[in-house]
Amino acid sequence: MAKNVIVAKDLYLEYKKDTPIIKESTFAIKSGSFVFITGPSGSGKSTLLKSFYGELRPRSGILQIGGVSLNSIKPSKLAFLRKYLGIIFQDYKLIKEWTVKKNVMLPLLIAGYSKNVCEAQTARLLKHVRLEGKEEYYPLELSGGEQQRVAMARALAHNPVIILADEPTGNLDEYSSRVIWNLLEGANEQLGTTVVVVTHSIPTNLKVPFKHFYIEDGKVYEIS
Amino acid sequence: MKSLKNHISLIIPLFAILFAVEFYFIVDKAITEYQKNMSKDYSIIVVSKKPLTLQELKAHEPHVVSLKEVDSSLVINRLKQNGITINFKELKNFLPKFYKVYLDHFPTPDEIKKIKKRLLTYKTITRVEIFLKVHEKIYHFLVFLHGISQIFLFIVFVTSILLVFKQIEVWHLEHKERMYIMALFGAPLWMRNAILIKLSVIDTLISAFLVYIIYLYFISTDYLKNLLGVENINITPGDIFHDLLWLMGLGLLISVVNVIIVSLRQPRI
Repeated sequence: MAKNVIVAKDLYLEYKKDTPIIKESTFAIKSGSFVFITGPSGSGKSTLLKSFYGELRPRSGILQIGGVSLNSIKPSKLAFLRKYLGIIFQDYKLIKEWTVKKNVMLPLLIAGYSKNVCEAQTARLLKHVRLEGKEEYYPLELSGGEQQRVAMARALAHNPVIILADEPTGNLDEYSSRVIWNLLEGANEQLGTTVVVVTHSIPTNLKVPFKHFYIEDGKVYEIS
Repeated sequence: MKSLKNHISLIIPLFAILFAVEFYFIVDKAITEYQKNMSKDYSIIVVSKKPLTLQELKAHEPHVVSLKEVDSSLVINRLKQNGITINFKELKNFLPKFYKVYLDHFPTPDEIKKIKKRLLTYKTITRVEIFLKVHEKIYHFLVFLHGISQIFLFIVFVTSILLVFKQIEVWHLEHKERMYIMALFGAPLWMRNAILIKLSVIDTLISAFLVYIIYLYFISTDYLKNLLGVENINITPGDIFHDLLWLMGLGLLISVVNVIIVSLRQPRI
């Protein structure tokens, strides 16, 4: 039986004091699962995802990622934990002064891989996301779909245990969205990576089984 | 253009700091050289009942480096000129011994008073003339010069540090997005701030070289050469090059410490 990779117990998240975004929420996400978190705008989907990668600390309750408590995690330990996460944003969050190649290499450079390994892995991933030949381009020279594929390659570069995606197809056309869903499905199916996606609507033609969490009035409910 | 403006914004305050530091170094060097020259010229007069040797005197006062007997005929000649009629041959036998005593450094007024006290404890020494007034005037002038250069350094240092800090904050703001992304992928603090460190290292090197070139030009001008030459003070290009290494070290320290402070002041990501 798969272990829980994300565990929340009576989780309470807030930006301003006594203004909870997420409250009294208890849930668990199993290792290797594909999870959607949905809910209306402003319901706290992105806030919940932020807490998963440690940008927002729980006000109370328990939040554990891979068995590590995020409640009062030290910056050095958080940096270490993030090496096991791959994060994808709606606005891509690519470093615009860096080439496509260097952007994809970022997690590998942080992990301390040798230049040869970085080069080989980056070339393989760019081929995988169908961006070979665009290594030396800068993000602003690419279309939105291509930029998101670069972000996808970057998220996969260091073989993360968990991929956290915040509206990964929110700004993309149908073709680019399909490519991104295929890549996320591939990571989940072939590599066993846990994928947590925050989205407004779940794609209809997904091949992998998935779990669905819904946020309403600050509480997280497991629907399926 | 924007990048150049950003670099100049850091180069100017760094240049000001390093220029002031080098100014202080040069004033300090000039004062030290001047004091050395002064100590060669400055002597105290010791009057002794019996002849003195350097070893005897050193045993009482370790700062003494040499002593020179003042020819008593000089004293007698002065008396002769004043028209005093006595038996000068006999007087010569009764006159005490006069010595010019040289010290190993240019002492402070307090030090010289202590030296006088110590010398007077020696039984054969009857009198010590330290020319305190003249000595004090010169000494206080040197202290004043030193103090002025220190105040100048302090004012420039404080104002420029604030400017350096502000500029690094501006850089931090410009590269915030990049640092944020790197933090999300687990980059340690040094890696996130590598860009700021790189920029400040480049600007430090440029500032230090500018200061080096300007001072090299100053010390090669005839005006400064003549001014320092009068007092036998010699500041060579080698001295300035030696200082360049200190300036680079100091500039790098200021930049890196500022980068660390700025990044630690930012909220955690």
